Amino acid sequence: MTSVGLLGSDLPGLRPHFEVEEGDLVEKGQVLFTDRKDPRVAFVSPLAGRVTGISFGARKTLSSCIVTATEDASPDHATSPIEATDHQSIRDVLRSRGMWSAFRTRPFGRIPDADAKTLAIFVNACQASMRAPDPSVVLQGREDLFRLGISHLKQMTEGKVFVCQSPGEALCAQDDRVEVVSFGGTLAAGLSGTHIDCLYPIRAGIEVWTIGYQDVIAIGHLFATGQYLGERFFSVSGGGSAPARIVRSCLGAKISDICSEQESPCALAGDTLTGHPATYLGRFDLQISVGSNVIATTSVERRSHGSGPSALIATRALDNALAPDILPVPLLRALSIGDSETAKRLGCLALVEEDVAALSRVCTSGAPYEALLRLVLNELMAETA
Amino acid sequence: MTLGGLFSERGVTGITFGQSVALVLPLGVVALETPGSVAVHFVSSLLAAIVWEAIFAVIRKHSFSFHGVTTALIFTIAIPADVQIWQVVLAVSLGAILGELVFGGRGFGFLQPATVALSLLLISFPEIQLRQPSQMLALATLPGAMMLLVLGFVSWRVLFAASVTVAVFFVGAEGGHEAMAVATAMAFGLVFVIGDPVSAASTNPGRWVFGGLAGGVVVVFSAGEVPTMDAIVLAGLIASVFAPLIDHLVTVIHARRRARRHA
Repeated sequence: MTSVGLLGSDLPGLRPHFEVEEGDLVEKGQVLFTDRKDPRVAFVSPLAGRVTGISFGARKTLSSCIVTATEDASPDHATSPIEATDHQSIRDVLRSRGMWSAFRTRPFGRIPDADAKTLAIFVNACQASMRAPDPSVVLQGREDLFRLGISHLKQMTEGKVFVCQSPGEALCAQDDRVEVVSFGGTLAAGLSGTHIDCLYPIRAGIEVWTIGYQDVIAIGHLFATGQYLGERFFSVSGGGSAPARIVRSCLGAKISDICSEQESPCALAGDTLTGHPATYLGRFDLQISVGSNVIATTSVERRSHGSGPSALIATRALDNALAPDILPVPLLRALSIGDSETAKRLGCLALVEEDVAALSRVCTSGAPYEALLRLVLNELMAETA
Repeated sequence: MTLGGLFSERGVTGITFGQSVALVLPLGVVALETPGSVAVHFVSSLLAAIVWEAIFAVIRKHSFSFHGVTTALIFTIAIPADVQIWQVVLAVSLGAILGELVFGGRGFGFLQPATVALSLLLISFPEIQLRQPSQMLALATLPGAMMLLVLGFVSWRVLFAASVTVAVFFVGAEGGHEAMAVATAMAFGLVFVIGDPVSAASTNPGRWVFGGLAGGVVVVFSAGEVPTMDAIVLAGLIASVFAPLIDHLVTVIHARRRARRHA
């Protein structure tokens, strides 16, 4: 592993206040920057090394922050478990130790405000696609950390913690505050938008949070050892029917560090359907797709080169790609014309970009529904603000 | 990814291609049944459809497309042998223009151009009666229908709802017709006229209503006889005019139910 990147595209709307400079040596878990709006929310380095690149985007937002592993980086020093029992101290730990960015709000898919309250937390422990890492394999030997993470999540909300998993053996024990729910069968079963729409539909004034299962392990690890866990498990799937291989690497790792030399030129972050070419993995990417089956992006590009928009025809492919209680064609039509009121009535508040990514690929129109949804969400967000 | 997803990744062209493949076998059957006229009808309707599509592409500065192929195929298969070439050209031209090109092309409108062309032919020339499908034509429809179902380019809900409605009134009624005769008459029109994904309802509850409505209109227009192609075409036209309303009502009811569930 040589370098990792923290990408501004994963931190929507964030304007960073840097605590390090380019060229500084940082330890694993050391604060790189904080949120300018609220300095209590910190973002930390997932590995020990040297800060080799900081670049800003429009209006002082972050573009990327690159940390490169070095020989002379200081090793992890011994730490002790963190004792945090009440709601406020757990919040403080998560905010100051870099785990706050693991949460995303629904509606709108933002990093929660430092003092925001949530009515439920949705842990996504589904295998997002056939070739994504299998959560039950990743959790093997880490069940205790996962359980510890869940028990801390319970403190963060007055409502329930929903552990959403693929059909199979329950990944953790249920109690009155933790509910384990299985989802399977359709393309959309692994998406948090589907879980939320089924279990806790969003209406005005409701905010729920989502988090990935590997981040729950990281939270458990943080409280159990006092150390930030930057390590994540990714799957790399090649062309043809070769099974995906699971690799252990670092959050935001450089894709060319994970793939072999032949693989990396045609590697996508994400699955073959919704993946996109990238240099560094995003905050929530768990899958890399390589090889000849990587066709999704190219064909969409090809279609968008045509003149004018293409039509939306209601094929069955659309029915499987969205949460079951959302009518796909009316929602897509509303998104296409930017009708935020209708989109809201049809349930777009539970969704973020990842939930409609597959639709852009299977819909005959090839419309960029991720971008269209974001426009509608921005409009709705401006209304509520 | 599903097979249908792979097809529709090629956009609307993928659907046109799938439908055209499904229509080849039925065209072969009618070509065997009436060898002389089919070639002439197909060439003239194809030319009419494609030329208008090209003209609209030039005027609107779109890229060229060939969706008129399915219009020509369905039209050719449905019309009888004695239709004149000028009648074919007139009907297909108006059908293609009013049924889809004025809306911006395949998929942007709410009508099936072949259905519109056939309806115009029936209304303008009352002496013309559409081809009554033979058993061979019905059989030849099946492989294509299966393919379209597997690809998800035709909704089984529409087909099922329309079939059940027709069956209840024709086969189930006292002194009803033989199921086989009704199925033979319905197969082709059901899949390619009523089931077309552009003109059918686009929500799942709406598809049930749409299929039921189309089947009901077929029953009414057939006036107790075995359904005719004429009745099926007009039923397809009427149902597709109501499809946007059906979808709108479904959307309103759905949104209301969601609002109540969330409250």
